[in-house]
Amino acid sequence: MFTEPFMQRALLAALFLGPLCAFMGVFVTARRMAFFSDTISHAALTGVALGFWFGLADPTWPMVAVSLLVAFGIMWLRENTDLLTDTIMALLLSASVAVGVIILSLLKEFRGELHSYLFGDILYIGPQEVWLAAALFGFVGTLLFLQLTSVTLLTAHEDMAQVCGVPVQRMNYLFVLVLTLVVALTIRLLGIILVTALIVIPPAAARAASRNLRQQIVLSLIFGVVGSVGGTLLSYQLDVPCGPTIVLTSVVLFIATLVIGRLRRT
Amino acid sequence: MPTESIAMHPSLAVEVRDLRVSFDNTSVLRGVNLRVPQGQIVALIGPNGSGKTTLLRCLLGLQKFSEGEVKIFGERDVKKVLPRIGYVPQRLALERSFILSVREFLALRLRETRHWFFHSHKQLDALIRPALVQIGVEDLLDRPIAQLSGGQLQRVLIAFALLRKPDLLLLDEPTAGVDTPGEETFYDLIASVQRQHKLTVILVSHDLSMVYSHASRVYALNGVICCEGPPEQVMNAESLKQAYGIHATPYHHHHVH
Repeated sequence: MFTEPFMQRALLAALFLGPLCAFMGVFVTARRMAFFSDTISHAALTGVALGFWFGLADPTWPMVAVSLLVAFGIMWLRENTDLLTDTIMALLLSASVAVGVIILSLLKEFRGELHSYLFGDILYIGPQEVWLAAALFGFVGTLLFLQLTSVTLLTAHEDMAQVCGVPVQRMNYLFVLVLTLVVALTIRLLGIILVTALIVIPPAAARAASRNLRQQIVLSLIFGVVGSVGGTLLSYQLDVPCGPTIVLTSVVLFIATLVIGRLRRT
Repeated sequence: MPTESIAMHPSLAVEVRDLRVSFDNTSVLRGVNLRVPQGQIVALIGPNGSGKTTLLRCLLGLQKFSEGEVKIFGERDVKKVLPRIGYVPQRLALERSFILSVREFLALRLRETRHWFFHSHKQLDALIRPALVQIGVEDLLDRPIAQLSGGQLQRVLIAFALLRKPDLLLLDEPTAGVDTPGEETFYDLIASVQRQHKLTVILVSHDLSMVYSHASRVYALNGVICCEGPPEQVMNAESLKQAYGIHATPYHHHHVH
């Protein structure tokens, strides 16, 4: 299976995106932003629809654009209205899915391909996606390690972070920008519905087995690789869809660490 | 009120002039004037909603104000003096699932340990331990910070605030959530740190007995500074009535020997 180009590309994409999502996920979960990530991934559906509408072969950029618009929409509404954040997110999630479905219903011939955006399809991972994943992995990974102290302070307490000299607002927007890029690109691998799993499950599994943040980050990176690469390999072996297999592999890892953690404590 | 010119005064830690803040057309601070000399423990007292926390947040640059002026060590731009300020917020609500250890949390404060992820525990401890000795948090280093008790967390926050040897320490109701015996040792700790490092401490507190025994100066706030002076002078019936409204009873200092 390693000789087939589509598998090589899928494995490379999984190798870059798995740990990247997991690393971001450590802070996404601690900041209670899992639903935020879900909202921006669902917003990508409108991006996909717009891409088809304009006849683009690859809707990656409209996906990124719509996700960013919704992400910053959430932040703006949160800062400028009294609405609760999860209300804002639920509103924008349903609205963007609705817009996406309406546009797609007007373009009947693209129905088959839609499935691959909803649940991921490794056949659609081209060389461009692999390069983008590699670039994002290098860029975001380096940025996170360089800014680790600021991001950690921000996660612990925003006021404390600001008093310690962290430019809180700028960092918040940067965090959302990076998260949106990571989510939009990972949709190719896992699909709109399942992408949040790769951000939430590895850090959650790592959390159950860690005693400090450094351990959680290291284990998340490992679980991210094992879940995404292992899941991709398994899906080929068992001839089942890739995205759901990655999710289930990660879930098994999560249950295992939870059980082992419980046993060790007793 | 006589117009007093607040010129640059090197021995003042904090100068606030005619500070006004309102939220949704409700004015919280209505022209606060405050001059805090260096090297003292001063207390801000006042009823709920009197603007104590807002005033502290203005000093830290966390709260924008519509009118007035704040100078810390003679500097108008708070960002420039932030490294000289230690801050202990009111009831730090930490996400329980965030597994940051006390050691990691403290390492976030020091420049030398900003790449804490790549340092061994031993290296980190060597850098942060000197600051911890008198605070008594050494045995907490491995614990997740979100799972500490109220008193333990306050000690860790004090250690964090003191790590970079600040000249000004701002404490916002530092003993909220700490039981009374714990409270006593906490204020003793602040007092001994203050004596040793000669720093300026501004603390917001509801606890009048603690203020009485530890503060050298008290400011009673209720939208404006109603009165200021040494505790025995401020905390009499008349001025407390002014600050707290008609329900206040004068504070009687009990000597327990």
